[in-house]
Amino acid sequence: MPAALAVEPPVAAPVVDDQALIAAVLAGSSQAFEEIVTRYQRAVYNLAVRTLRDSNEAQDATQEAFFKAYRALHTFRPGAKFSTWIFTICYRLCCDKLSKRKRISGDELPDRADPSAGPEMLAERSDEAVRLRAAIDALPEKYRTVVTLYHLQGKQYDEIATVLNLPLGTVKTHLFRAKEQLRKALSP
Amino acid sequence: MTHDDDFADLDRMLAALPLEEPPAALRSRILTSTVYRPAPAVHAWEFWLVGTVLALAAWLLWLVATVPHAGERFADLTARLVEQGGLTSLTTLLWLAVGISTAWWISQLSFPTARRVRSR
Repeated sequence: MPAALAVEPPVAAPVVDDQALIAAVLAGSSQAFEEIVTRYQRAVYNLAVRTLRDSNEAQDATQEAFFKAYRALHTFRPGAKFSTWIFTICYRLCCDKLSKRKRISGDELPDRADPSAGPEMLAERSDEAVRLRAAIDALPEKYRTVVTLYHLQGKQYDEIATVLNLPLGTVKTHLFRAKEQLRKALSP
Repeated sequence: MTHDDDFADLDRMLAALPLEEPPAALRSRILTSTVYRPAPAVHAWEFWLVGTVLALAAWLLWLVATVPHAGERFADLTARLVEQGGLTSLTTLLWLAVGISTAWWISQLSFPTARRVRSR
């Protein structure tokens, strides 16, 4: 089962939970917010970079997501998962960027085509992680995001559905089709 | 056989897939835009206040400028106020000067805290 890689703190990480950190930030602690950034910036960046397939835009989206989260931290519902909240913010920002990109370029597809992610290029890539990442990049946006969140959050389908604002059944269908396409792309 | 079993290999690959490292500068970018954001030179409410005052001043200026013989009327009004206020009388001016200087002198007095503590 894919672990929630970036969400679960490593063994050596401090035991302070997210709720306590948020309370500390609201009380004026800068260090607490630094800790939140340390915990989530990788995961948020990965969601953005997988969705947008552009490092610069992903950095902008990550920064904006943290900025919006910081500004709206007082509205964060106690008991909710911070990861789901910040992923939702980040995903909406990515959607905005994709639709802006679509408006500018006038493309039918909302995302930018990645020429290095084609099947012939995939065949040349030996490393499993590189091949898998390229295969994910080659997926359509809706499947790519579901797989990325599945990778980041594990089998928490309801959390994925919340982030994407989709029904649970749709998330499962998207994930199934995404996995089928991935398997096809990765098969020798 | 479930879908999970179908994709066991893929799930294993996904679980083993390391996350991409974000660029090193991203963290400082985030912190600079949030907790370490420099305080703005002018607050929004200050900007609006100055704007409103300027607009009001411009409107008043326009109002005065468009009234016929505005300059003469203004000079008349000022002269009347000076006369009615007794500001043409030397005695009044003298008492006014005494009052202002006394108020200024009192405002310059300082009472050391230690002395007040001792007197309690």
